Amino acid sequence: MSTISAGTRYGRELRAICGADHVMEDPSELHRGVILGIAPGVAVAPASADEIAAVLRFANEHGLSVVPAGGFTQQQVGNLPSRIDVLLYTSRLTDVDHYDPGDLTVGIGAGCTVAQLSAMVGANGLLFAGDAALPERSTVGGLLATAMPGPLRHGYGGLRDYCIGIRFVTGDGRKAKGGGRVVKNVAGYDLMKLLIGSQGTLAIITGASFKLFPASRQTRTFAAEFGTPAEAIDFRNRVLRSPLSPICLELVSPGARALLPDGKESASWSIYVRAAGSDAVLARYRAELGAAISHEMEGQSEWDVWRALADFSHIVPDRYPRGLLFSLAVPLSEIQPVLDHLATAGESNGLALAIIGRVGVGHLLAGLWPMRGAEVTLVNFINAASELRNLLPKDASMAVLHCPPEARHHVAAWGPTPTNLDSMRAVKTALDPKDVLNRGRFLF
Amino acid sequence: MDAFARGATLALFLKMSLPAVIDALRKLAGREAVLDRPEDLMLYEYDAGIRKSTPGVVVFPQNAHQVSEIMRVATSARIPVVARGAGTGLSGGAISQEGGIVVAFSRMNRILEVDVENQRAVVQPGVVNLQLSEHVSHLGLYFAPDPSSQKACTIGGNVAENSGGPHTLMHGVTVNHVTGVEVVMPNGDMVQFGGKAAESGGYDMTGFFVGSEGTVGIATAITVKLLRKPELTATLLGIFESIDDAARTVSAITAAGITPAALEMLDGWTLRTIEAFCHAGYPLDAGAVLLIELEGLREAVEEQAVAVNEVCLQQKAREVRRSKSEEERALLWKGRKLAFAALGRVSPSYYTQDGVVPRSQIPGVLQHIGEVAKKHDLVIGNIFHAGDGNLHPLILFDMRNAEQFQHVMAASRDILQYCIDVGGSITGEHGVGMEKRDLMPLLFTEEDLDVMMSLRDAFNGHEILNPQKLLPTPRMCREITGPSQNAVLAQEGL
Repeated sequence: MSTISAGTRYGRELRAICGADHVMEDPSELHRGVILGIAPGVAVAPASADEIAAVLRFANEHGLSVVPAGGFTQQQVGNLPSRIDVLLYTSRLTDVDHYDPGDLTVGIGAGCTVAQLSAMVGANGLLFAGDAALPERSTVGGLLATAMPGPLRHGYGGLRDYCIGIRFVTGDGRKAKGGGRVVKNVAGYDLMKLLIGSQGTLAIITGASFKLFPASRQTRTFAAEFGTPAEAIDFRNRVLRSPLSPICLELVSPGARALLPDGKESASWSIYVRAAGSDAVLARYRAELGAAISHEMEGQSEWDVWRALADFSHIVPDRYPRGLLFSLAVPLSEIQPVLDHLATAGESNGLALAIIGRVGVGHLLAGLWPMRGAEVTLVNFINAASELRNLLPKDASMAVLHCPPEARHHVAAWGPTPTNLDSMRAVKTALDPKDVLNRGRFLF
Repeated sequence: MDAFARGATLALFLKMSLPAVIDALRKLAGREAVLDRPEDLMLYEYDAGIRKSTPGVVVFPQNAHQVSEIMRVATSARIPVVARGAGTGLSGGAISQEGGIVVAFSRMNRILEVDVENQRAVVQPGVVNLQLSEHVSHLGLYFAPDPSSQKACTIGGNVAENSGGPHTLMHGVTVNHVTGVEVVMPNGDMVQFGGKAAESGGYDMTGFFVGSEGTVGIATAITVKLLRKPELTATLLGIFESIDDAARTVSAITAAGITPAALEMLDGWTLRTIEAFCHAGYPLDAGAVLLIELEGLREAVEEQAVAVNEVCLQQKAREVRRSKSEEERALLWKGRKLAFAALGRVSPSYYTQDGVVPRSQIPGVLQHIGEVAKKHDLVIGNIFHAGDGNLHPLILFDMRNAEQFQHVMAASRDILQYCIDVGGSITGEHGVGMEKRDLMPLLFTEEDLDVMMSLRDAFNGHEILNPQKLLPTPRMCREITGPSQNAVLAQEGL
């Protein structure tokens, strides 16, 4: 039990840095910090970037492994941690750094929840476009570190497009920043890009600045249903080539439909087109989309459906703990073949399938779980993941967000990427040379 | 070990001199692809900014393999290298070290692929920005970043500097339009970052590379997004008696929930200078104009045009005109894009700054620029990408007047300090280059810069690629204030 002894050994030093009230060593408290079955030796909740820097310098001196934690909504994603000596909560970093609604920008601490941030700017008629899963729990820092796109990715771009500044402490304990508070800024290296999606392996994000958008005054969702995925993708192409610019363009497979609030069992593949604008604009959508529209959604029922689509990465594992969940980034032309490969991987392994995704930008989420009555063994899960990975088209990447506990040791969370591995390793070495942060969880 | 690698290793042992390097470059790229006569090198000693430095040799590679070989030679010989597109940059990013190697990309100017279904193009770095848009125009597509120099500047240069342009207000700067890049690293390795997918697994090396100002590697192929042309574009000209009214209108437009595609401001002096040059149709007696462009779905654009008109009039616009034809629209933009050329006619030299302020601070910064002009007895014209708070004060001067030039530098520094003080930045789209590297400590702490340096050193530890750009030397980090700008200029013989 080396991890527990690390806690008791270093508790005194960590209490000196963070204060006694913010260091947790009691096993009952540490229990809620368990990641994929591994308990932390000690948990700390520093009050500032300076305290985080002190914790990280201490960890570097003693060769400890530190795992940053926000709302614990994405913490089960990634390879098994090799060790968790110190679990570091960002929950106390919630200060507003700057906010002037007239500038359409906000700077906020990493520990602020996405729901808090959205509510704050929403009061001024503004939108924070990061539609995270479980926004009441997920934090700004966690959202940036994991960079999981939500449905709004289609209309507003991704975090890499609207995160304009970032504050962080590198793995080796240097407190630094990139970017700033203004929407246009090319001074210095773009460190936002490096940290977004770095899964907490380069630095602990302490705060960030974002570009905000005027909130839509009215939205409407137009649903179109098709017998085959090919027809759904044809319709997507029609929307992409039209003058329309919806804020969301989402594919919903028959299996996924059953997991949504409006979810009847359905044999159709749906495309949900969410539009924002005046009555005249919505009328134009109706005219352009024409007979393909099967129904419209508005008000609470519309909101509920989009909430569920944003939460999909949690709905699947909650409903089917003994299942798989994949996140796929795919060039637009390759979505159709990937849908076919998913269907084959499911069928040949006795797995039912639910797929949603931002098919206008090329991001899919796919859940697979044992079909009713099917004999599914460990091998089926391993095969489904490896078959799909082997068939991935050029430039595509795939992450396994969830897999059954028994398959963890056999299914790698991250697969190949078009990006050169040595260069990524050079970045890791430059910022976290002793591999203090999230050891074993990401690429290396 | 291939023949070339053997040559490079040999060069290391022999401590290759510049003439030997030139010979090696001729062997690998061809005799006609290497320039070393002083009269030829002179053409490569400057960019569109104000610095100068003469390279030792210019080489024109034809493919990534040659770029890789050039890097191996340079690294072996420890001679600095700078990649150069069209030399239209404003921050000295493409200027060589004295006696260094310029790798010029005019022969790597092919569009390698247009992938309509994925809305991507793969281009060599020497492709001219506007040529790409023209090439895909018949498909209803275009490349969004549109620097004023887009008729000449290259996409490789856009990537290095993370260039912007008027339409970045809606569409973002270059980094928002690059999904992949093939790179030759300083050691000559050819690597790929990202690809055609909107996102790639692992660290976003593509995003880090764009805007690294040629200090991390040299791009040899770039995968860019192509956007679909909007159904309707409406261009409005808001005419104001005072620059203050125009400045207030900028934040009033965003506060009304409108995101224009572009929102440009020109002050009265600048628009009169432009009119005298190219008759764009700007009113001669106005205090300032706003050039406002809306694009998208017809219904949405028409509604926004009505709303913008109302906001302008509420903010005391004298008149709001809407261009009635593509020709009228093109003329209004021609005036804006030729602004720099127009100034060339009235002043022997001008110095452009690129500061950024939060949008709500535009009235304040304009007032400050007015005071700075008065204090230093300088003429300063104002062209803003007002919608995103990016200012381009144009300071006129005569290079032969050394005392005036000191005032120009002091005024620039004063304006940028103001930008920083109100929460802004020293560069919105031109890059830091050699021009603003000693101002970086005003914006970043020593530790911030240390982190950036450790990233540069991870790839370019010997500073073979574009040394003395983007980041201050560690000595400068500690000199937060003081006359370092002038000291540097004096060193460089300016």
